[in-house]
This record gives sequence, structure tokens and C-alpha cells, in this order.
Amino acid sequence: MAIPDPTQWLDQHGDYLYGYAMVRLRNPENAEDAVQETLLAALKSHETFSGRSSERTWLVGILKHKLIDQYRKTYRESPVPDAELEAFSGDEYFRDEGEWVDHWKPECAPIEWQVTPETELAQGEFWEVFDECLSPLPDRCSQAFTLREIDGLTTDEICEALGVSTSNLWVLLHRARLRLRRCIEINWFRREAAAK
Amino acid sequence: MNPIARQYDKARHAVRYFLLRRLPTCKSVAPMMSESLERKLSLRERFVLKLHLGVCVWCVWYLDQLHVLRDACRERGAGPQDVAGAGQAAMPDDARDRIRRALEEQQ
Repeated sequence: MAIPDPTQWLDQHGDYLYGYAMVRLRNPENAEDAVQETLLAALKSHETFSGRSSERTWLVGILKHKLIDQYRKTYRESPVPDAELEAFSGDEYFRDEGEWVDHWKPECAPIEWQVTPETELAQGEFWEVFDECLSPLPDRCSQAFTLREIDGLTTDEICEALGVSTSNLWVLLHRARLRLRRCIEINWFRREAAAK
Repeated sequence: MNPIARQYDKARHAVRYFLLRRLPTCKSVAPMMSESLERKLSLRERFVLKLHLGVCVWCVWYLDQLHVLRDACRERGAGPQDVAGAGQAAMPDDARDRIRRALEEQQ
């Protein structure tokens, strides 16, 4: 096999890998480190690249491991900041007094999602809304969601990477879902309904 | 509406009201619904949730939408061009230069 030119990987896939890492790490320095380590590892192990998958898929496969390393480094001995989580509890979606205390506030309650060609989820514009909804979430909350739902990692893998207990992870996921669902409803489903 | 239908409607309303008042609240079943995507709920939890969903359409939609989001995300993650973030943030030039140097040293 010919000796590869890693700077070519950088030119062809650099932005892709960096974007992939940025969404998951949310920190430019860590993302840069992860991309650099990925390309260095790829250089060392290019014999293992079988050519069966695309070069990009192969590089992303290596990057995924490097991302886990970055998480571990960031979160080693850093427990979930309670204050951050408390401020993000989603309690304000539920009534705080009256007969129906702790049930949904009518204005925050879910509405039925009408899936039409315009509100179809699998399209580029939806993912722009999705990413904007994910970005205000606290780091570990958004990372837990991305690793679980988009990357499909197991609970154990995520707990290890983010340095949290299983029950902590469930809280993180619950809060992420609560916020994200609401934000998507407002900015995607309601917007589409209002446009009609 | 005939009297029997009205009676039936009233009774249904009373049961629904009773259950909503006695059962765990939306706020306490919301984490349970999220966890149902992570683990098998206990028999008790499943029972309570089922009763709650029987009388609360908001929570029915909530749970349904958690699944919709999961399915959409998993599909995105498995997609050939995994759009998840890729290409959104271009690498800054100085970062690219640093990585280029590191690669050249290694070669």
C-alpha cells in the first residue's frame, strides 16, 4: 500500500472531523486536539485501513475513540455541578400552585405534532433548528443526549466517558429531552403551523 | 345527548378526575417516561404510568415525541453523511496549520 499523505486527509476531511468533534466537545481546543490525535493515529495505523469503507468513515471511527479520551480528560474528578443542573430542571413547565399543581402548565404542555411534508424531521432545515435547540443546554446535558441518541452509545459507555453515575445520566437525559422537545415544538412544529 | 350517554360521560369524567388527582403528577411521570427509553420500568412504575397515560393526553404526546426524537436522531447518526454537526464549524486556519506541522514532524 502506498504511503499515505496525511496532509491530504487534513485538506479533505479536516473541516468535517472538526465540525463533528465541535458538536460533541463544544470546545475549540479539545476539538483541535481530537482531530490532531485522530490523524496521527490514522498515520500510524493506515495499514489497517482496508478500503472497504470510505476514508472518511474510517477517520470518523478513529475520531470517536479520541472523543471519549477527551471527555475523560475533561471530566476526570469533576462531579456534575449541582447548581448548573438545578438551574436547568425544567420545573417551570409545571404548575407551581393550585388544584393541578405539578401538572403541565397549559402553555407549556405538549401539543400534537402534525407531521406533514413541511414538518418532516429528516431534512436539513430541521437539523438546524435541532442544533440551535441543543446549544443552550449545559455541556454535559447536551453531550449525554448526543452520545445516547445520535451516537447510540450504551449507558455504561456514556457514564464512563462523562464521569457520572447511572442515575445522574438519567437525570441529564431527562432534562435534555424536556428542554429539547419543548424548543423543537416551538421552533419547528408551532412555527410551521403558524405559517399556514 | 341521551340520558344514558350523559350519565356515562359524567362517570367517565369523574373517574378521570379522580385518577388525575390521585395518581403521580405529570412532573413525576416525566422522568419515568424518559427512563423508559433507558431501562425496563418496574411493574409498579409501568402500572402507574399506564394509568396516567390513560387520562392525560399531554403525557401521551410527550412520550410519543420522545420516541420520535430518538428515532430521528438515531437515523441521523447512522446516516451515510452523518450530518450531526459535521461541516458546521470550519476549522480555524491556525489550528489547521498546527495540525499540519504535527503531521509533518511525525512523517
